[in-house]
Amino acid sequence: MINSICIKTENLSKRYRNSEEESLSKISFTINKGDKFGILGPNGAGKTTLISILCGIIPTSSGKYSYYENDTVLSLVDIKKRLGFVPQDYAFYEELSPIQNMMYFGSFYKLSIKEITRRSEEIFNILGISNVAHKKIKTFSGGMKRRMNLAIGIIHKPAVLFLDEPTVGADVQSKHAMLTYINFLNSEGTTVVYTSHHMSEAQEFCNRIVLINKGELVVCDELKPLLQKYNTSSLKSLFIQLTGTQYFDHYE
Amino acid sequence: MNRLRASVKKEFLLLIHDRVGLMFMFMMPLLLVFVITIVQDNAFRKINEGHISMFIVNHDTGSQSIKLIQLVEASGMFKIEIKNDLDQSEIKQYLLENRKQAAVYIPDDFSALLNEKSNYAAGLMLADFGLMEASGIVPEKEVSEILLFHDPVLQEAYCQNINNLLVTSVQILENTLMLDVIYSQFGIDNESGQLKEKLGSPCVSITQTPASKADIKPNTTQHNVPAWTIFAMFFIVVSLGNNIVKERLNGSFVRLKTMPVNFMLIWGSKTIVYVGVTILQVLVVFSMGIFVFPLIELPELILPNNLAVLIFVVLIIALSAVSYALMIGTLAETQEQANGIGAVSIIIFAVLGGIFVPVFAMPDFLKFISYFSPLYWCLEGFYFLFLKGGNLLDLLNVLWPLFVFIIVCQSITYVKLKIEKII
Repeated sequence: MINSICIKTENLSKRYRNSEEESLSKISFTINKGDKFGILGPNGAGKTTLISILCGIIPTSSGKYSYYENDTVLSLVDIKKRLGFVPQDYAFYEELSPIQNMMYFGSFYKLSIKEITRRSEEIFNILGISNVAHKKIKTFSGGMKRRMNLAIGIIHKPAVLFLDEPTVGADVQSKHAMLTYINFLNSEGTTVVYTSHHMSEAQEFCNRIVLINKGELVVCDELKPLLQKYNTSSLKSLFIQLTGTQYFDHYE
Repeated sequence: MNRLRASVKKEFLLLIHDRVGLMFMFMMPLLLVFVITIVQDNAFRKINEGHISMFIVNHDTGSQSIKLIQLVEASGMFKIEIKNDLDQSEIKQYLLENRKQAAVYIPDDFSALLNEKSNYAAGLMLADFGLMEASGIVPEKEVSEILLFHDPVLQEAYCQNINNLLVTSVQILENTLMLDVIYSQFGIDNESGQLKEKLGSPCVSITQTPASKADIKPNTTQHNVPAWTIFAMFFIVVSLGNNIVKERLNGSFVRLKTMPVNFMLIWGSKTIVYVGVTILQVLVVFSMGIFVFPLIELPELILPNNLAVLIFVVLIIALSAVSYALMIGTLAETQEQANGIGAVSIIIFAVLGGIFVPVFAMPDFLKFISYFSPLYWCLEGFYFLFLKGGNLLDLLNVLWPLFVFIIVCQSITYVKLKIEKII
């Protein structure tokens, strides 16, 4: 079992350079150990900004966040050792094969060649990539590339796994394989933080959610009580109730 | 797994999968060095081994024009054809249609006017010595006009050479005629032979000596191989610049930011691999100069005696090229920008740096600008080794601008990555 991690944010705010409005405004919430935590909101709500801050990709403008392991606050270096990140875009080298990518990214977690090979075989088997493990990724279908994107993020069995729209563009089989494996990792102790536009998928997957809109926190709670509180059975109708039907996309 | 080793391996794998990039990096310099050395060597031989094709239209019936043609032939610079049947107005057309490089037209009064002028000059000389009275008859025309036609493509320097040869030849004829007049005035016409012979051959011989500390003979290979190798080394900007832009755009850099890795390791691995590539370029191109050129009758590349200094210079040039490519890859927003800015800037640097045209032949303001081209200093470094036989101290005086260049490129790269929050 992995030592699970919880994350606390306190008044997290982010204003990008040359932007008049805050992308995130005083967001505070807690992600508990072993959560399958959904960060939900319409386009432009600030979901990716929030994940980027929590993964250490961009700094906050104000406020803070902390990672706790057995009640000990982790340093940024320790966070990075325990964190897995699956970005929305394909973040790997398509000219290389899956195993070559795993060797490269796996090396940063100080895994041995033997360990990377063993983990890769395990993950590739579950995600259905083992028969193409030595082929160039650029020849893969969209679904296979999605699975490969996930595989790199979990090579080191992370204690906390961030998934930014991990299943977008993937076929039903790919989604099923990915979510099944993520559920398995969660059962092994990995805290999962997840964003998606698929409300039915999020409802099926998450036990807790935070809903943000226009950079502000709308609600953060366990999913079932939340649905009961708002007297609805679907996350989709809760989403519409709390965020409205207006478009909030913006351009830069 | 060792992170640096894994990172270097990844860069190497990406490199060998980029076949077009590899072609650019290795085939281009080989072709450039090969073609340009052959062309320049051929041009050199054309001048020195009598390969400039020329025809002469001689409308003069006197003996002086025949002697002039003999003198031109004796220079060994030309393959000469006599086309006396052509009219002056037909010369241009004949030259262009028959792909000749030059033509000389000798007018019908050439011998007569030359005799007249020589008589007059000899008369003046004898009068000055008080040996006879000046005739007072001044020639009507000062000089008979010889026309020199040339292919517009023929370089100015070649035309000037032909022109100088004609002027010298006419002077020899004139001096000979003057001697004849003077000797005949004294009634010893047959005695002038020895003096004519003496005047015909120069009293002072000129030995050309390159100002080199080593015993190195400059030739087209010693010039071209180092110069175009530098050009190729800097051209890795296309491959490496693309590689960096791709990684920035495809999210790999973002993923790396979430991993426990120092970005300097990523940068270090790119530097190691591409410095290795540039060194390999040097080995390949130099090998061609050493082993292949002699087989096709081109001058062999002679390496400097001090190989340690050569390796040092190659390393500095390689680091300069890689630092520049890293900077362009970081500054460019798209692959097109990296390709365009990278390739065009290297060509401009090469032009200013004296790779295409020697810097001494440039106007003063361009000479000043050339100091800002890293390729100028790289070329100076190689020329110190390959042509001037310089030592390490001489080289440091030439190479310090490259150290500054490396620091500037690396600093700009660092600042840009900092601004983009990549490091």
